Amino acid sequence: MTELLIGLVATPLTGALVTMLLPRFATSVAIAAGVLTTVAAGTLLYGVGTRGALGYDIGGWTAGLGIALRADGLSALLLMMNALVMLAASVYASAYFSKTAERARFWPLWLLLWTALNALLLSGDLFNLYVTLELLGLSAVALASLGNKTAAVQAALRYLLVGLLGSMLFLAGVSLIYAGYGTLDMASLAHVAQAGPIVWPALALMTVGLLLKTALFPLHFWLPPAHASAPAPVSAVLSALVVKASFYLVLRLWLDVFAEAVTPAAASLLGVLGAGAVLWGSWRALRAERLKLLAAYSTVAQLGYLFLFFPLLQALPPGSARDLAVGGLIILALTHGFAKAGLFLAIGIIQQRSGHDTIRELDGTAQRLPATTFAIALGGVALIGLPPSGTFLGKWHLLVAAFTTGQWWWVVVAVIGSLLAAAYIFRVLGHAFGHRAYPNQPVAIAREEWPALLLGVTAAVLMGLAGAPLWRLLEGGA
Amino acid sequence: MSDTSLLVLDGLLVISLVTLAWTALAGSDARRSVILFMAFGLVLAAAWVRLLAPDVALAEAAIGAGLAGALLLAAVREQSRQPLPARIVSKRSHNKPGVNIALQWAVSVLCAVLAGTLAWALAHALNSAPQNALPRAVSANLEASGVSNPVTAVLLNFRAYDTLLELAVLLTAVLGIFALGPARPGYQSAGPVFDGLARWLVPVLILTAGYLLWVGAHAPGGAFQAGATLAAASVVLRLAGRHQIGLPQGPALRVVMAAGVGMFVLVGLGLLVAGRPFLGYPPPWAGGLILMIESAATLAIAATLVLAFLGGQPRPLAVRVARGRIAATPIPTGKPVSPEGIRSTEPHAAEACHRIQETQKRC
Repeated sequence: MTELLIGLVATPLTGALVTMLLPRFATSVAIAAGVLTTVAAGTLLYGVGTRGALGYDIGGWTAGLGIALRADGLSALLLMMNALVMLAASVYASAYFSKTAERARFWPLWLLLWTALNALLLSGDLFNLYVTLELLGLSAVALASLGNKTAAVQAALRYLLVGLLGSMLFLAGVSLIYAGYGTLDMASLAHVAQAGPIVWPALALMTVGLLLKTALFPLHFWLPPAHASAPAPVSAVLSALVVKASFYLVLRLWLDVFAEAVTPAAASLLGVLGAGAVLWGSWRALRAERLKLLAAYSTVAQLGYLFLFFPLLQALPPGSARDLAVGGLIILALTHGFAKAGLFLAIGIIQQRSGHDTIRELDGTAQRLPATTFAIALGGVALIGLPPSGTFLGKWHLLVAAFTTGQWWWVVVAVIGSLLAAAYIFRVLGHAFGHRAYPNQPVAIAREEWPALLLGVTAAVLMGLAGAPLWRLLEGGA
Repeated sequence: MSDTSLLVLDGLLVISLVTLAWTALAGSDARRSVILFMAFGLVLAAAWVRLLAPDVALAEAAIGAGLAGALLLAAVREQSRQPLPARIVSKRSHNKPGVNIALQWAVSVLCAVLAGTLAWALAHALNSAPQNALPRAVSANLEASGVSNPVTAVLLNFRAYDTLLELAVLLTAVLGIFALGPARPGYQSAGPVFDGLARWLVPVLILTAGYLLWVGAHAPGGAFQAGATLAAASVVLRLAGRHQIGLPQGPALRVVMAAGVGMFVLVGLGLLVAGRPFLGYPPPWAGGLILMIESAATLAIAATLVLAFLGGQPRPLAVRVARGRIAATPIPTGKPVSPEGIRSTEPHAAEACHRIQETQKRC
C-alpha cells in the first residue's frame, strides 16, 4: 500500500522517459501512464480514507537522514484532483496537438509536470520540496512557451524569472530553518519549531516565494499573460493545478508545520491581499476582451477567496467549527480546479473552431458548439458559486466562519466578488447565445468536448455532493 | 600556514568577492560583467575551500564559474548578433525615467531589507546550540552507504531521491530549450594556436572527468563535477569551430539525455521489485550501484550542459565517409561567426539573408 506513494511519482516519470525515447508512440504511452497514475491516486485516496495518513521512507532511511513521502487527507484529495484534471486534459491534448513534432515536444514535458505535481504533494521534506518546486516551475514554463508565438515566449520568460525568484526566496527560508533546527523533515519540525527570530523570517521568506508562484494579488502580474498565451490544455493545468500546488504548500506551512508561529496580524494580511485579489481579479475579468484573459483573471480572483480563510482559521479555536471551515477551503480549491480546467478546455475548442476568442464576436457559438457552450456554463455555475456546485458549499462555510468570528467584512468581499463573477460569466453566455444564425454544423470531436463537459459536471454537481465524505476524509487524515 | 597569514588570505577573499560582485553588477557592458562574474565564481570556489567544503568548491568552479560563464557569454553573443525586436526596444524607451529610478530604488530597498533580515536570522541561528544530529547520523550510517565520501553518500544514497528529481529538472531544462527552436549556428574554425590548444585540452578534460567520477566515491568529486568537466571538453571543441563535438545524433542523443533519470528509475524500481525500498541499495551492492548511476548521470549532465550551450536542438549533420575518414558538416542554415566577432558590428539583415543564400548555394 505505501509503495503507492513512490509509484505516484515513478509512473509519470517513467512515462516521460518512454515518450521521449519513443516519440512515435508518445500519445498512447502518455495516456496509459495517465490512466495508471489516476488509478494509483484513487487507490491512495481509498487507502487514506480507510487507514488514515500514510508514509514511505525512500531508500529505507529514517526521515531526517533520508526523505520521507507522506500522504494525508489533504494531499490525497489534491492528488486525486490532479489526476482527474490531468487525465481529462491529456485526452483533450491528444486531439489538440495534431503534428507529430508538436506531440514529441509536448508529452515528455507534460508528464514531467505531472511528476512534479505529485512529488510536491507527497514530499515531507523542506529541501525536497524546493527541488519539486523547481521541477514544477521549469516544466510549466517550457509548456507555456509551446505556444511558440513571440507573446507566448515573452510571457513564459517572465513566468520563468518570477518562478526562479520565488524558489530562491523559498530556498533562503529553508536554509534558515536548517541552520536553526538541523532538520528538514516537516513532521519533526512541527514538533520543535517555535515562534521566534528564526522561524518568523524563514516563514516570511518561504511564504513570499510561494505567494509569487501562487500569483496572489499584487504578485499576480505575471499570471494573465502566461496563462492566456499558452496552448489550451497547458493553460487549463497551469490555472487549475500549478498555482494550487504552491498554495497547498502555504497551507501546509501555515496550518501544520509552523502553526505556532503564525500571528493574527500576519493571517489578516493574507486575508487583505486575498480580498484585493477577489475584487481586482473579478473586475479585470469583467473588462477582459478575450475569453482566455477572462479565465486567467478569474483565476486571480478565485485564488483570492482561498486566502480569505486564513484570518478566519486563525480566529477559530480548534474544534468542529474550524474543521468545517478547513473543509470549505479545500472544497473551494478542488472545485475551482475542475471548473477552471473545464473552462479553459472549452475555450480552447472555441478558439480552434472560430480562430479567435474575442468575447464580443462569440455570437452563434451556442448553435455551432452546443456542448462546448454547455461546458462553459457549467464551469460558470461553479465559478459564481451557485448551488449545487462545490463553490457554493465552500462559500457557505466561509460566510459561517466569518459570522462566527465576527469578521463580517470578508462577507462583503465575497458577495461583491460573486456578483462580479456572475456578471462576467453572463457576459460571455449572453454573447454565445447571440442571435446571428449559423446554418453550418461544424464537426466536433468527442475527444475534445467530453473532457471539458465532464470537468464541468464534476465542478458544478459532483463536488457539491462530495461534501460529507470529504470532511470525513480530512478529519481521518489530519 | 600560520593563523595570521590565513586571516590575511580570508580578508583578501572577502574583499575581492565584494569588489568583483559590485563591479560585475554596476558595469553597463554585459560582456565585461560576465567575465567579472566568472572571476567571482573562481574566488568563491577558493572561499569554499577555506570553509572546508571542497566538494562545493569543485562544483562552483566547474559549473558556477565555468559553464554558467560560457552560457552567459553565448547569450551575450546572441544578443549582439540579433538586436532586440524594435517593438520591445520602443516599449522600453517609452518608460518614464522617473518610474525607472523609483523602481530601482524600490528594488534596492527590498534587497537591503532582505539582506538585513537574513543576517539577523542567521546570527540567531548560529548563536543557538549547534545542530549536529544530522552530520552524526551521516557518519554513523556511512559504512552501509557503499561510499566513504559523506557528500556522495548523502547525494547518491541517503537523499538520492533529491538527486533523481534534480536530474529530472536538468532534463526538463533541455526539453524546454528544444521547444524554443534549433541550435545557434557554430563558430568559424579557430586559428592554429587555439586549435593546437584544443587538441591538448580536450583529452585532458575527458580524462579529468573520468577521474572525478571515479574519485567521488571516497574524495571530493562526483557526477555533477565530472559532467561539467566533460561538457567543458565539448564547449572547447565548439569554440574551436568543430562540427562534431562529441554529441550523439538522433535517437542516441535522446538516450543519453534520459540516461541519468533512466538509470536512477531502473535501479529504484528494480530494487522495489526485489522487495527492497525504492532506492534502498543492499549495502554490499551499494558502491557498484552508485557508480553505475553516477556514470549514467555524468553522461546525461554533460549532454544537458552542452545542449544548453548550443541553445537548441542540434542541427542534423550530413556525414560522408571518404577514404576511411569521416567528415561531418552541418546542413547550413546560418552564417558561422568567429568568436572574435562578438563585438564586430553586424551587417544589415538583408545582407545577412543574402549571405545565407550564398552559403546554401555553395553546398
